[in-house]
Amino acid sequence: MRLTHLKSRVFGSGGMIFAAVAPVLTILVAFPLLFVVLQAIFPDIARGIFANPFSRFVETLFDKHLIAWTLNTLMLGGSVVLVSSLVAVPLGILRGLFRVPFAGLWDVVFLVPFTIPPYIAALGWIMALQPRGYLEQITGLNFGGFLFSFWGVVFVMTLNVFPVVYFAVSRMVSSIGGRYLEAARVAGCPPMRSFWRITLPLTTPAIAASLLLVFAMSIEEFGTPAALAARSGFLVLVTGIEQRLSDYPIDLPGASLLSVILVLIAMAAFVLQHRIVSRRDFQTVSGKPGANRAAELGVWRIPVVMFFAIIGFLGAVMPILSVVLTASTRTISGGLTADNFSTENFAEIFANSGGAMEALGTSLSLGLGAAVITGILGTMTAYVVVRQRTVSSRILDFLTLMPNTIPGVVVAVGLILAWNQPWLPVTPYNTIGVLVLAYCCLLLPYPVRYANAALRQVSVSLEDAARVAGAGGIKVFFRILMPLIFPSILAAMLLVFAVAARELVATILLAPIGTKTVALFIWRQFEQGSVGMGMAMSVMAIAITMTIPVAVAIWARKQGRLF
Amino acid sequence: MISAENSAGQTGSPVVVTGTSQRFGRNTVLEAIDLAVAPGEVVALLGPSGCGKTTLLRLLAGLSRPTTGSIHIGDQLVADASSGAFVPPERRSIGMVFQDYALWPHMTVAQNVGFPLEMQNIGRAERDARIAEALGMVGLGHVADRQPGTLSGGQQQRVALARAIVSRPRLVLFDEPLSNLDRELRESLVVDIAALLRKLGMTAVYVTHDHGEAFAIADRVAILHSGHILQIDAPEQLVGKPVSPQVVDFLKLGLVLPAEVQNGDLIIRGGKHRLSPPAGLINGSRSGDLFLPRSALRAASADGGAQKGNAISGTVVHSMFRGDGYAVQMRFDQNIAIEMFSATRLGDGTIHDLDISWDRAFWYPHDAAPALSHT
Repeated sequence: MRLTHLKSRVFGSGGMIFAAVAPVLTILVAFPLLFVVLQAIFPDIARGIFANPFSRFVETLFDKHLIAWTLNTLMLGGSVVLVSSLVAVPLGILRGLFRVPFAGLWDVVFLVPFTIPPYIAALGWIMALQPRGYLEQITGLNFGGFLFSFWGVVFVMTLNVFPVVYFAVSRMVSSIGGRYLEAARVAGCPPMRSFWRITLPLTTPAIAASLLLVFAMSIEEFGTPAALAARSGFLVLVTGIEQRLSDYPIDLPGASLLSVILVLIAMAAFVLQHRIVSRRDFQTVSGKPGANRAAELGVWRIPVVMFFAIIGFLGAVMPILSVVLTASTRTISGGLTADNFSTENFAEIFANSGGAMEALGTSLSLGLGAAVITGILGTMTAYVVVRQRTVSSRILDFLTLMPNTIPGVVVAVGLILAWNQPWLPVTPYNTIGVLVLAYCCLLLPYPVRYANAALRQVSVSLEDAARVAGAGGIKVFFRILMPLIFPSILAAMLLVFAVAARELVATILLAPIGTKTVALFIWRQFEQGSVGMGMAMSVMAIAITMTIPVAVAIWARKQGRLF
Repeated sequence: MISAENSAGQTGSPVVVTGTSQRFGRNTVLEAIDLAVAPGEVVALLGPSGCGKTTLLRLLAGLSRPTTGSIHIGDQLVADASSGAFVPPERRSIGMVFQDYALWPHMTVAQNVGFPLEMQNIGRAERDARIAEALGMVGLGHVADRQPGTLSGGQQQRVALARAIVSRPRLVLFDEPLSNLDRELRESLVVDIAALLRKLGMTAVYVTHDHGEAFAIADRVAILHSGHILQIDAPEQLVGKPVSPQVVDFLKLGLVLPAEVQNGDLIIRGGKHRLSPPAGLINGSRSGDLFLPRSALRAASADGGAQKGNAISGTVVHSMFRGDGYAVQMRFDQNIAIEMFSATRLGDGTIHDLDISWDRAFWYPHDAAPALSHT
């Protein structure tokens, strides 16, 4: 059985796909990452020279900034994990165990933070909480001191990432809910005790895995710590790397070493997370949320709904509201008065003031390009990985999933180092092409994973049946495989589009002079003090990244069986 | 595989269900069920999916509350809809085996089995002894320290069985415990479970949709159909004296022919057959269902029986070789078909007469309450 499936499938052999994909992935992923490591070791590699290895190593390693920034990074990640667990674990458990009023609404509301780029949320919070911000205008309270501190960063970042934990926990709890709890009750275990003995231990892996993901997301985040804390001198590794590359004198070896440290921390988190998720007891529990018999909340109904409402308001409503208000008022100081409201900022965007429309066009085409390229590459790679199971296919798998653990800032450092090598005959550096490379490298894991999962659902015998029915390799691929897996790939491509169209940190470091994207436009407008236009652009960015996926999803559903 | 050397002399508790209904909104799942299970008796609830058998089991477990009626386990009133009295599952001292095993994946086999004892605050030493005993009974003493996920489906269900009996509960409930297993395993495990329950003298209620399983395990089998118990009897009794055409139909016991009575003769619906039953079978009703068990039908030795009203002719749809003979599908009229056993192959499409032994026939009159009349 297995033997007949090994070789000669699509296009005569998967070997051809491998031959096509492997060099592309090497250039896209391996090449820049290799240079991050090389630069950390060889200080003069930027000139193409392997001289004096490790000569700056010790000096950089004991740089007091490096140690402080590493500790700051760990502290920030740890604090976001802590606060996320305090907020999201109770929410998830409540949602999984009880009949929470408006449960469906909360699930939608808690999805919203995923659609707001963190830097835009951070800017929104600044508008709301800064001295003479909206909160002070309305209530007289000023939380500026809190917002621009370490805990302010933690607060804003937690509101951005806690849904990861919420969804993992609520899904896990409700799938344990039915059968495992019933078995415990029948075995003589009262409800509270079965929570501690059955529900909580079985949910712990899901909690741990999602918190590790939150940790990884937090230490990679650039926009929030840069907007809120950089001015007060609080730097983490990501903001430190950016500073080494943008402040004179540019310190390439330092940025590389910081990158290596950041990658190692992120990788440790991912490896640990992967270990937990692939444990047997995790997998036997997760999967089918069976017949869920949620319990009634009784007198706790109102406090619980309040809890959901407050977190939902802080996470989803507040930042968007603040962004929208700023976008639709003339001046911040003018306050929330009727004559201060206007559509001026939007009008300026459409009038291409400051190159706004160009930025929008550039971002949309970059997003589209990245989506198409990663979609095609991801599908091909997944096919080789799922259907071939050879050593070389496993290398491909590793290459495509590795960027998952690599922060955007590190990919940018790698691309700068790699594509500035003097011996290169051609280089995309200083063109818009390098942004495409960056986005593709960063976001390739999504299509690969989605296509991977979809392909595993397609039984090999479906392909065999088509072959027996007289279809050739290419026909099988387009008539059988593609219709079955395309919905998943499309979903992944939409995700790539949405993220790429507003990526911040790699864009800041890599964009050629004069090139504007949505994220750069917002960031620069904010730095230059024309906040209103930046926020108007943010509104459009959020609207586009929210509506395009929904529109495509509706369109795909209308196509019915075709997809 | 399963052994119980030191079978305890004690018996399980009696169970009495009185006028119990279960409604979900306007949907009635169980309608005024009365059921009495004697101490140490094993009752199977048999019926197609959606008949309410699992709902009844969940009521016994305390996993849901009845809309009307009451339930006693032993002397304890565990649920009473009129007074609102309700004992939650953890205070009913019962055991239960679930369809999907429901072994807790974060505990070892021994911890799973020992959990009910732990809940009763039984000390470590005694607990360990009883875990070992229960695992020994199901032949799995050697896997005590394994994680349940590493065991086969059959082994997992044996562990679940050990967990259900380890605390010597008053009542053991089985919710289609073998339906996730393949046939061979099912057949051997059902015999083992039956033997174990008898040796321990446990009261048990066993839900299944498989006749073979129900007949193999139960002292009495209750046939459920859309929320009602159609009949509850020993397996032999069910097969020998089914009380209604639905029971016959569900158990596939033979041929059910709807018929009109004309001058003492039966006109089978469709009009092709006229049968002349002996006096006394019909008892004055005008229409009803004639039930001819397989044993009442025999391939005709000579032609002419059909003319005399003592035989029924059918068309062979298909003969299938079954090793020791042929399973023959015969069709008599539009929707009336039966699978018969024949020692020889009957050609597809040929017409055969089947002689009727009237002394084995049943008549279920339509116009009276379905009462059994038997010659």
